[in-house]
Amino acid sequence: MTALLMLHLELIMQELDQTVTIGATVPTGFEHTAAEEVQEKLEATARVSKNRGRIYFDITTDKLLKVHQLKSLDNLFVVVKEYDDYQFKTTKEEVQIDWQELAAKLPWTNALEVWKLNNSIKKKKGRRKRTKPTKSDQCGNVGTKSTDTVPSDTEELWEDLEALEVKGNQRDVSSQPENDSEEEKRSEIQDQEPGETPLKFRVTCNRAGDKHCFTSNDAARDFGGAVQEFFQWKADMTKFDVEVLLNIHNNEVVVGIALTVESLHRRNITHFGPTTLRSTLAYGMLRLCKPQVSDVIVDPMCGTGAIPLEGVMEWQNSFFLAGDNNGTAVSRTRSNIKHILKRTHDGGSSSGLPLDIVQWDLCNLPMRSSSVDVIITDMPFGKRMGSKKKNWELYPSCLREMARVCKPGTGKAVLLTQDKKCFLKALSQTEGLWRKLHTVWVNVGGLHAGVFVLKRTAVVFGTISEDAMEPHTATGSQKGSMKDASE
Amino acid sequence: MKLLTHNMLTSHVQGVTKGYPLIIKATEVKVNELEFNAQFVSRMIPKLEWKALIQAAEWLGQSQDLPSTPKPNYESVEDFLRKVHRILLEVEVVEGCLQCPESGREFPISNGVPNLLLIEDE
Repeated sequence: MTALLMLHLELIMQELDQTVTIGATVPTGFEHTAAEEVQEKLEATARVSKNRGRIYFDITTDKLLKVHQLKSLDNLFVVVKEYDDYQFKTTKEEVQIDWQELAAKLPWTNALEVWKLNNSIKKKKGRRKRTKPTKSDQCGNVGTKSTDTVPSDTEELWEDLEALEVKGNQRDVSSQPENDSEEEKRSEIQDQEPGETPLKFRVTCNRAGDKHCFTSNDAARDFGGAVQEFFQWKADMTKFDVEVLLNIHNNEVVVGIALTVESLHRRNITHFGPTTLRSTLAYGMLRLCKPQVSDVIVDPMCGTGAIPLEGVMEWQNSFFLAGDNNGTAVSRTRSNIKHILKRTHDGGSSSGLPLDIVQWDLCNLPMRSSSVDVIITDMPFGKRMGSKKKNWELYPSCLREMARVCKPGTGKAVLLTQDKKCFLKALSQTEGLWRKLHTVWVNVGGLHAGVFVLKRTAVVFGTISEDAMEPHTATGSQKGSMKDASE
Repeated sequence: MKLLTHNMLTSHVQGVTKGYPLIIKATEVKVNELEFNAQFVSRMIPKLEWKALIQAAEWLGQSQDLPSTPKPNYESVEDFLRKVHRILLEVEVVEGCLQCPESGREFPISNGVPNLLLIEDE
């Protein structure tokens, strides 16, 4: 069976070797770091959509597997067609007729071939069993209104696809010349499943803009109806084979077919905590600090370890130190590391990872001054963890302690927080130890947060009156001046 | 806990001024292979407290005849770099404790993770 699959895969790739447009959703604010990764690893130029949180790039189909291995991307889809300036009619009835016409004339064939190819690739990658999070996933998808529907019985789904796969092999899968009518193309796709049950599908619609006379539900329903009529597929909201995406952003319309079922953004974490950060967001933050060979990179509030884990997988020539004061967080991080090690060992490697975990108090770090190159962390938001009042006390001491351990002149910090006001106030109180380089505005679980990229100035810690005392003695005088800070 | 980490850790017990390096008392030590990168090691050497590293290696019985100061031109001596690589990244303390050299306070290491939390009034 595997040999047949491999042969099939090669046949499809030979026939296809064509350029396709891939769309990807990424954490909002990190479109450019994602484009960088695409350029670096696929040598393709990505364009950032006006619709935030999306990038598009062209690749030849032989690169599809590599696309799945990119770390900045949440979800992938293959573009069926893009319209820059779609003119929507002004009544719901007219819009519905338009959807019907559209469904019938879209160039589905190539996109569906890519979808098929993608299924084979996903099988080659193998399925990673993931334990479900014990707390609810609070870091929801960014920029999409659709929910992540994962077919409840994924094993069954793969078997269905495999059956379709084998049937498809019996038919010549060459791309049709341009002047073929859509009728012929449609029947070609149909005939590939003789005697098989029709494909199941759903339409997911995201709509933004204030000049539409319809809602996303209207569009999903009407376009879905048109697709169903055209292909004679069965609509199924949960156990679908094909997910058709309809993205509408003002007059920009993109029709795509999803290539990922599960979002890629939880790849390293099997043991979740209440505020676990998406891996794609962690990766984006790490790219911002541009890890160098032999850099010591510390996450002093690592939680379940999302950032150091992502870091150690990609930048193996830096050293990662993950710390937290909470024993449960520490043990979850350890479990996540063990899991990754097991995965790499199963793949044949016997190597360890350049990473250590320490249980410590972030405001009183047991570290030598000026020993750290990069500090990168997700700071408590005050809504899901900690409290805003606590942040007023925590943030200034944090920033000070981080400045102490960070190398003057060359050190950097990349800090994610939702409590922007408190953070900026605390920053202004650190007496020239940090300089703001830039800020990336992101959306984390529906909350507007900022990723602050800071440079450690050349000012040596301890030369200013306020912190001339040993850093780990009482900061009573500092606390006094904080008390009058109001929200 | 790897010795690279130990090299950066210091005691932060209140009032202590000579809290570095922390004394290692290991009850279980493991050696875990990790991919060698010459550039990593040679760039890391100037950032280290070399004496503390040698001392730590001795506590674990892993000195490997490392010199008391790094060899001149160490960047090109692969044999030397490999020894340093091993001591920095491959030797791990799994169980034991770290002791503050001034106050005597002990911090446990379990499952490779040192716990350096102080209780409120320390």
